[in-house]
Order: sequence, then C-alpha cells, then structure tokens
Amino acid sequence: MNKVRSQESGVKKWMMGILVVLLLLTAYCLLPTVSHAADASGIMKKSQLAFLYPGKDMKIRVYMKLISQDGKERVREMTMLRKNYQEGGDQKYFIYFYQPADVRDMTFMVYKYAAKDDDRWIFMPALNMVRRIAANDKRSSFVGSDFTYEDVSGRDIEDDNHSIAKEEKVGERDAYVIKSAPKDEKGADFSYKLSWIDKGSFLPIKEEYYDKRGELYKTFTSDEIKDMQGFPVITKRTMKDAKTGHRTEVAYQKTEFNIGLTDDVFTERYLKKPLKKWIE
Amino acid sequence: MKRFSLTAFSVDHPWLVIAIVAVITLGFAIQFPKITIDTDPKNMLPATSDVRVYNDSVEKDFSLHKDTIVLGIVNKHGIFNQTTLEKIAKITDEILKLKGIVTRDVTSFTTVDDVMSTGDSITVKPLMSEIPKTQQEIDAFKKSIYENPLIVDRLISKDGTTTAIYIPLEPGANGKEIADRVKDIVAKEKGDEQYYVAGDPVARDTFGAEMFKQMGFFSPIAGMVMMIVLYILFGNFGLISSVMAVAMISVIWSMGLLIGLGYPVHIMSSMIPVFLMAIATDSIHIFNEFYFRFRETRDKKQAVLDTMKVVGQPVKYTALATAAGFGVLAIMHIIPVKVFGIFIAFGTIVIRLMSFSLIPAAMMLVSEKNILKAAGGEDEKENLAPECFYQGRAARPRFKHSGTSILKKLGAIGAHKSTTTVTVGIIVLIFAAIGISRINVNNNMVKWFKKGSDVRKSDRIINEKLGGTALGYIVAASEEDDFIKKPETMRYIESLQRDLEKLPNVGKTFSVVDYVKRINRVFNNNVPAFDRVPDTKEAIAQYLFMFSMSAKPSDLDNVVDYPFRKANIWIQLKTWDANAMQDVIDRVKAYTAQYPLSGAQFKPAGAAYFNLVWNNEVLYDMLKGFILALIIVFVILVFNFRSFKWALIAYMPLLFTIAVIYGAVGFMGKDFDMPISVLSCLSLGMAVDFAIHFISRFRRRIGEKSEVEKMRSLEDEEKILTSQPLNLSTSQLPNSELITDALLWTAARPGKGIIRNAILFATAFSAMIFAPLTPYVTVGLFIAGMMFLSALMSIIYLPALIVMFRRWLFIVDGKTSRCSLPIYGRPPEAD
Repeated sequence: MNKVRSQESGVKKWMMGILVVLLLLTAYCLLPTVSHAADASGIMKKSQLAFLYPGKDMKIRVYMKLISQDGKERVREMTMLRKNYQEGGDQKYFIYFYQPADVRDMTFMVYKYAAKDDDRWIFMPALNMVRRIAANDKRSSFVGSDFTYEDVSGRDIEDDNHSIAKEEKVGERDAYVIKSAPKDEKGADFSYKLSWIDKGSFLPIKEEYYDKRGELYKTFTSDEIKDMQGFPVITKRTMKDAKTGHRTEVAYQKTEFNIGLTDDVFTERYLKKPLKKWIE
Repeated sequence: MKRFSLTAFSVDHPWLVIAIVAVITLGFAIQFPKITIDTDPKNMLPATSDVRVYNDSVEKDFSLHKDTIVLGIVNKHGIFNQTTLEKIAKITDEILKLKGIVTRDVTSFTTVDDVMSTGDSITVKPLMSEIPKTQQEIDAFKKSIYENPLIVDRLISKDGTTTAIYIPLEPGANGKEIADRVKDIVAKEKGDEQYYVAGDPVARDTFGAEMFKQMGFFSPIAGMVMMIVLYILFGNFGLISSVMAVAMISVIWSMGLLIGLGYPVHIMSSMIPVFLMAIATDSIHIFNEFYFRFRETRDKKQAVLDTMKVVGQPVKYTALATAAGFGVLAIMHIIPVKVFGIFIAFGTIVIRLMSFSLIPAAMMLVSEKNILKAAGGEDEKENLAPECFYQGRAARPRFKHSGTSILKKLGAIGAHKSTTTVTVGIIVLIFAAIGISRINVNNNMVKWFKKGSDVRKSDRIINEKLGGTALGYIVAASEEDDFIKKPETMRYIESLQRDLEKLPNVGKTFSVVDYVKRINRVFNNNVPAFDRVPDTKEAIAQYLFMFSMSAKPSDLDNVVDYPFRKANIWIQLKTWDANAMQDVIDRVKAYTAQYPLSGAQFKPAGAAYFNLVWNNEVLYDMLKGFILALIIVFVILVFNFRSFKWALIAYMPLLFTIAVIYGAVGFMGKDFDMPISVLSCLSLGMAVDFAIHFISRFRRRIGEKSEVEKMRSLEDEEKILTSQPLNLSTSQLPNSELITDALLWTAARPGKGIIRNAILFATAFSAMIFAPLTPYVTVGLFIAGMMFLSALMSIIYLPALIVMFRRWLFIVDGKTSRCSLPIYGRPPEAD
C-alpha cells in the first residue's frame, strides 16, 4: 500500500514540477508581451512629442499641394503658428492663408484640448465674419487635403491599443513598427494602423492605415527629415489615398522654433487682423 | 457540280462523312472551356468610343463612380422614429464593411455631410451623427432635414416615409453580388420597414446572371420540345436526331469558333444558339420531300438524290438569305453586333453544309423499314384522296388527309379569291403602318424584368418616393480658372436647374450652387432669405473653402473640378428610358440658346447619357443593318428566281410579316429595344424562307406541268388560252387552271413542310413565354408569331398574288418566260 502511495505521491510531485515549469514558461512568454505593450505606448507617446510638440512654439510656412491621380493640382499656402501649453496636451494653432488667391487673408484658429473637442474659429474676409466651427469630427479633411485634423494635430494616445508588431530598417533608419487599433471601433476610420517610428528621432517615417475591411486606404510617408534648431523636423511629407490615388504633398519652407508667440495672437481680434511679423 | 458530288459522296460514304463531321465538331468543342463572359451592355460600345472616353474624363474630373446601388428603406408610418433611425445607422455600418464598395462615398443619413448652424457656431458633420432619441430631438432633426434642399428627395422623401442609402461600387465589382449582400444585411432586420435594392448595376448584373441561367434552361427545353414535335411529325428517331445534330453542330462550330478566337460571350452572342437552332429547322423541308419521294420510288438512294435535287435550290437560297441577313451586320460599327452577325452567318453556312452532307448521310443510314413505316403514314393518308386534280402523272400523290386538305383550302382562298385576299392584306398593312409609326426606339434594362419582379418593383418604388434611380450629368465647362465661382455663373446654373426640374422625369437636380446657398444661409443664422447665391466671387470662394476644410473631399470634388473651370450638375431621373435624358439635353440646348452664358458650354454625361448614346448607336446600328439586310435579301431573291418580278412577289410575305409584327409591337407600346432589334434580323432570314420554298417549288412544278401538258395536248392548251379574257399572242403562258392547280399542289406538299416548320418552331419557342425575363418572352412570342404569320402569308397570300399578277409574272417583254429553265438550267453553285 505504502509503496503504492509513495509511488502516487512521486507521480504527483513530478506532475507538479511539470506544471510549475509550464507556468513559468507561460509567464516568460507573456512577460515580454506585456512589457512590449507598455513599450509600444511609450514609443507612441515619445513619437507624438517629437512630432507635434517640439519647442515652446513654432512658426512655419507651409506649402501644400493636393494632387489628383491624373496629376491635377490645387495649392494651399499658409503660415502656421503653434504654441504648446502642456507637454503632450493643450495647444493653440493659428493659420493664415496666402493661397488660393481668393481666400487670401482667411484665418483659422484651433484650440486643441487633451481631453475634449477642439474649439475652432474661422475668419472670412469677404464677409468680414468670424464664425466658430463646431469640431466634433477630427476625421474630416484638413483644408481639403488627404490629411485629417487628427493627422495634423494628433490623436489621443489613450484612444488606441498599441503593440510592437516588429522592428525593421527603413532605408538607413532603424524603426519600431507599432500596430495601433482603436479601443472604440467607432472612434476611428481605421481598424488599425501601422507606424514605423524612427528609433533615433522618434519621428514617424511611415504610416499605413487599414479600413474596417482590412484594406489599406492611406499611407503617410516622411520624405525629408532635417534638423532645425536642434529639433528633427519632417520638412517634406506625403499622404496618399490608396483607393483614389489622390495625394497631398506638404513642404515646410521656413521653420522657426521658440519665437516667443504671445497669447494675444490666438484671439478673435488677431484672427481678423493678424500681425504681419507673425504671418510672414 | 460540286454540290452534287458532296451529296453523292455523303450518300456513298455516310459513315466517313459522319466521322469527319464528328472530328471537326470535337475540335470546336474543345474551345469551350476557354469561354469568357461579358454581360455588361456598356461594352457594346468600345472603350475608345467618344461617349465612353468623355464619360471617363468626366468621372475623373469629378471623382465620380460609374455604378451606384440604391437601397431604399420605407416605413409607411414614417421613418422619423428612434427604431427606424437606429436601423438606418446600423445598416449603413454593415454596408460600409462590404467589399467592392467605395466606403468613403457611401451616402446615408449617417455619412452625408451637412452644414448647419447650432447656436453661435457652424457645424459640418454627418447629417445624423447621433441618433435622436426624445420626441423633441426627433422633431428638431426632422425640421433640420426638411430645411436642407440637398437632402430632400435625395435622402428623404417628401412624405417622410422613405430614405435611401447610395452605395457606389468599385470598378469591376459585380452589382448583383453586392446587391445580394445588401439584401442579406437587411434580411436580418425585423419590423415595419421594407427594403428595396435598385440601380443600374443591379439590373445589369442580375440580368447577366439570369441570362445564362435561362439560356441554359430554356435552350434545352426548346430543343426537347422540338424533338418531340419532330417525332410526331416524322415518326423516325434517327432522322430527327440528325436535325437536332445539325442544330447542335452548328451551335458548337460557331460558338467554338467565337470562343476560340477569343471573343467574350455577350448578351447578344448568347442568343446565337437559340437562333441557330431556329435556323437549323429548315432541314425539315428536306425530310418532308424525302418522305414523299421515298414513298414514291422505294429506292432510298434515289429518293435522297432526287430530294436534294429538288429541295437543294430553295434550301441553298434560304440559307443564303439568312446568312446575308445576319452577315450584313458585319459591316456595322458596333463590335458585338458584328460578332453576332458574323457568327450566325457562319453557323447558317454550317447548317447548309450539313444539309448537303450529314443529312443525306443520315438518311442513308436509317433502315428503310423504319422510314417506310413513318413515310407510309403519309402515303396512306394521301392515297385516300378520291380526287385527282391533275391527271398528268398517275404516280403523283393525292392530297386528302386532314393537314394537306386544310392547306389546300388555305391555298385555295388565295387562289380563288385573290382580289379579296389582297384587299384584306392591304387593309392590314395600313393598320400595321400606323402601329409602326408608334414604335419607340428605346432600351430600358429595368423593363427587361417583369412587372412583379424585385428589380422592377424596387426601381418603381424608389422612383416614386425619391428623386430617381437613373443618374445623368450636365457639365458646365469653361476655359477660365475659377469661372464657376463667379456669382453670375452660379446664378445661371441655379436657374438652369430650376428649368430642368420642370421636366416630368427629372426628380432632382443638384450642384455646387446648392452647397453655396446652403452655407450662405447657415452662416447667416439660418435665415431663409439667405438661401441664395452671395454677391461676390470671394464670398463664394471662401464659403467653399470653409466647406472643404471640414467636409469629405468628394463632396466638392463631385460637383466642381480642380481649377473651378467646370461644374457638374447632377440630374436624377425617374426612368432609365433614353428619352428622359434626351429631353434633358433638348431642354439644356433650348435654355442655353435662349439665355446664352458666354464662356461656358453645357455638355451631357453620366450613365443616363451613356444609355441614350448606346441606344442611338447600337439600336440605330441594328436598324440600319436591318434595312440593309432587307435590300440584300431582295437582291438574293432576284438572283434565286433570275427574275425581278418573282423576287418582288416572294418579298411580299416577308414585308407583310415584318409589317404586322412591328405594327403589333407599336400598338402594344413595346419599345424597339435590344432583344427586338436582334430578332428583326432573324425575322428577315426566316420569314423569307417559306416564300422561297413556295415559289421555287411552284415554279418548278408549273414548269414540269407545262411541258407535260404541251406534249400531251397542245391544242387543249390553246383552247384554254384563247378562252382567257386577255388573249396573249404567245402559246406558252400557262393557263389559269394550271396555275391554280400548281398553287394548290404547292400549298399542300411543300406547304406541308412550311407548316411543319412553323409548328415546330412556334411550339419550341413558345416555352420561352414562361421565362421570367421579358426579352426571352419577347423572343418566344416573336418567333412563334413570325413563323405562323409568314407560313400563312406564303400559303394564302402568295397564291393570291400569283393569280392576280399571273400575266405580269409570266410575261417578259411580251413573251412568256419559261420559268423552269432559268432556275434549273444551271445547277446551284458549290457549297
């Protein structure tokens, strides 16, 4: 009997051993994933700061070309002012349009908040009229381009689940490939997107957006990255609609950081009559 | 003498001939797996045709989609309630996940951009970004919708019972498949709502799918019915198999060649098998005569050779007429029309080749006993004849069984009461002419479905409630950048729209002006007085810029081009009838002529416009071909009879049949559409057949008889001749009794072949009357009607005409023609 019992307990011990090993193995397998997930989120946060929040403020002359599949072009030329109020959070944007010619002097202002919908105002010189524009759709096109407001001013990191899909080289640059899927399916047009984040500058080198059917529908590419006052800046970028072949090319012609933008720049008075020194 | 040798060769080596035919047939049959199918009627016009190139450029200029499916959602209690609105949102979400659709441009309550003013701010967002829940919210939502002219009649019916989801398709997507998946989505929903799926791609691709199913279903049925009728008529399985084999062989050869040469099977070419089957039944005349001959001689080989000698001529020329009727389509512009014509002509020639080789070979192989049994029936009936209307040859059959005596009576009506017959004919012709003048050349694919069908019902309901399922465009084009942004251009387009909306079939129009007016109103605190075009170009430009800052790019792209040189006015039509778009174009022409706008041109485009052009090009091409074929068939008749006069007489049943059929089409209010246009060529080839058989055999008969008569009693004949009211100086004019007798003989004997052919045909194709698609019903009715008409015309009308014009017919330049010699002096040419 005893012998049998000890034999039984021996088997039990042996089985427990296996179980422990299995548990440990599982844990080992799980651990890196967990840390990866944390990493992915962190990488995206870092990337957003590098991409959208460099400096205290910024002034750029933006030259934007909207190009249809058969090569027809529309041009948008504007000066964009941006001031950061909170790292990774609130920002204010001021945009003055030079082109198209018939919208010259039009201005546009955005207060971007971390936790709620933006406030937007538009000034139309032909009607001498300032109107608030309700902004409950960040997914709509930015000035008719292939970029959405979200693409221009950033999407809340917390809105998506991020994971590192792989790491690979893009050209000369080592990059993380982060897969981001919206937590709320209705909160985004994409079912997931892939971002290639440069390990050096943390700027996005490439992004691919996949729709609800899993089909690629648009691609972002950084075509030129330059160092400006110590900040790495994407000075040329393209967003291409994979379905229509339409694309938007953006070039930063003058980029200045930390120019000392005052708060009164971002008011209705300046919207109607912006100061020359800020918009030129 | 080649034809003769072919028949003789076939008679001598039946198995060899059959083997050769089988091998060649196999060669064509192995092409079949390479089949490609193209059911898009659009492809009837080549991709390089002006209208397609222009439409493509318009689609590019305005980022438009070729094909759009419309899902109509109807709740007879009104759609403004939380449940229905939730369903609309849910269904839209489901649709957005479908493959093959252009997700970004699906238009529904939840996706269409709307500009509205809420308190102190302007909102550009989907019309229904959140589902209103309380009655108050629902009322406010309803109010805002009806204030927006961009939405009314497009997304909401005036009575509030109907909304729609517009689903643009990616190029190459199959409209029926997507429509089916949309139907699957809505099938999951329960409640008061009813769902209707409509639109050009649905009709087109449903038809495409159905077409092949029905061709696969009804062709064999027609074939089976044909076999049964043949069995009843000829009672010999071996022989009828050879008729069916000839039909099959011609189908396999011509379809095999078509596929082998890499042509896709089109809507039109899919009808080739049915047509060839119809044409193949011409070999009945051979069997008909063979049975008579065999009963007479009891020598099978001799009977075959004799039959071919007698029937060869008409069979050859009927085939030639049919081949020419279709062959003439080869010089038309539209490629599928050409292909259709050429391959039917080819198939007809194959049939004729088989008539002189395979059929004689088959006749040799059938056991004499069996034929005798079958032919004996014929013999027995005919031997019962107590009277002998012609004494010349005792061996001639006498006609007194039911079928032949009826035929004789029919022939007698024409022969004895020629004036009355011709008068009645003229009256009928006058009526037919009135009917023909009412014919409407139009192609409306939705009408290819029966009234109660899903496709037709959906189309009707959506057209009743909303702006319309048929879409056309009027493009305003200038050479000047920003021309469209000018207030005067805007106002001009606006008044043009109002003018077009007066047309009964225009359900809704829509342009960039509607956006501008809407934004103007919204920016001015929603005051209705601002629902107009602002006064300066800058204001318009800035409104549009503002709009483009928030809306989907396609919103503006669909209505203006990149440099604002062109504007696109959307015209929703309530019918796919080509005339609806023609009315629009005429109206635009009239308007722009009356109030010219300098620097701008207005041109039509879009699917409805394409339909119109297609209509004109394809249908008028067919019509042209048809008229040309009419002329060519006449020329062939002249050659066949070596006589202009006889050709004219033989032409009459054809003209008459066609006139009556098209007259009926006109009276029924049926459009001259693609199926009808295709059939007209067939009618031509078939309707003339009977006349050729009738007149050839009649003239041969009378030629033989005249000589026999002459030899027998020259004096008698002279006596008869002198007794005629108009005494003719020549002694060779056949006397009227002779003519009448020969006519009655022809009506009874070859006439039997004619009636057999007609019955066979009409029965086989009447099966198609039960097809669910109207073109097949049309084919069935048309063919049946045509066969009976032309058979009756040949048997009644030809005798009447021949009797009436006998002097004119038999006299050439004051002398009587010896009709038999010109025809048979030369044997028909080689095959």
